[in-house]
Amino acid sequence: MVVPWVGIPMADFLARFEPNSNAKYVKFTTLYDPDQMPGQRRRVLDWPYVEGLTIAEAMNPLTLMVVGVYGKTLPNQNGAPMRLVVPWKYGFKSIKTINHIEFTETQPRNSWAISAPREYGFFANVNPKVDHPRWSQATERRIGTGLFTSKQDTLMFNGYGEQVAHLYSGLDLEKNF
Amino acid sequence: MNLASARATSVLKVVLFAASLVPLARLLLDVLGVGGLTLGANPVEELIHRLGKWGLNFLLITLAVTPVRRLTGLHWLVRYRRMLGLFTFFYITLHFESYTVVDHRLDISSIGEDIIERPYITLGVTALILLVPLAVTSTNGMMRRLGSRWRRLHRLVYVIAVLGVSHFYWQVKQDVQEPLIYAGILAVLLGFRVWVATKSSRHRLMRAA
Repeated sequence: MVVPWVGIPMADFLARFEPNSNAKYVKFTTLYDPDQMPGQRRRVLDWPYVEGLTIAEAMNPLTLMVVGVYGKTLPNQNGAPMRLVVPWKYGFKSIKTINHIEFTETQPRNSWAISAPREYGFFANVNPKVDHPRWSQATERRIGTGLFTSKQDTLMFNGYGEQVAHLYSGLDLEKNF
Repeated sequence: MNLASARATSVLKVVLFAASLVPLARLLLDVLGVGGLTLGANPVEELIHRLGKWGLNFLLITLAVTPVRRLTGLHWLVRYRRMLGLFTFFYITLHFESYTVVDHRLDISSIGEDIIERPYITLGVTALILLVPLAVTSTNGMMRRLGSRWRRLHRLVYVIAVLGVSHFYWQVKQDVQEPLIYAGILAVLLGFRVWVATKSSRHRLMRAA
């Protein structure tokens, strides 16, 4: 499915804070509130959830600071009140319920890479040629198509190669998964 | 009513058979969308997962028959073990079919690649293959033909159980709580047999001394 997110370009949002040339990365942290979020009561991951982008990725026109979906305000389970959407990366990069943003000089350690570094990295670009250690990423099934549809080939950068491939020229995407 | 009587056994077998089909019935209701029930946002994964879990549930129930018999003295429970074992095979076969037919659409090369390159699937397929001789030799005729070899063959169920739980554990992304619960229950059920086996050998040692 194609999700109709409602948001503003992250570039515009971040520009207000006038990051200087030392700002190489943006680090996002989510709310830590086990009372409201029962899933945080067990340390399945090292809460609060943390994610990051390079400054170039954050400034790309596709990166959105999202506040709504389907024309309505974002529901809690979709990451209210504000969440990130980075459509050319795997879903875990699109951190929900952001309540802290930092510009950093060094690459932030994102939650999934901390808990399973062999399986999840910082870049997490959608890439059919780079398998997860335990399963393939070469094919996908479109959400909403039901039980009896075929899988389709996964597209490099989730189909957004034209808009984002230039960010990674010269970067070995197999090592930097 | 005497639950060990032949009459009670016939009735209970029908009841157990019907009860064992309930998970499948519920799954069908979800697939058909009856009464607003669904398989959720990722129906293929939910289908595979649900069938696999019920396969494991029946496997653990089957393995629980012997300990429960011993602890309660209700030795006639063994009459239901074959049906429980065959329902295990039934749900695991459906689990495998949902993976090959619904998920992979019978694409032999991608299924083959999965079996060879994804260790957790290798374990799962091995467990399924090992279940086949057990299912085939489940009849009274086979039990007679094989004699003492039947018992030795059916000890494979211990290997199958370990493979099955490992397959589950290895498939999970991060939250290992559920597979660990299954592993814990399996450890108790297998540990019981170890305890019984060592108890009888300790007994023999004591008597010899």
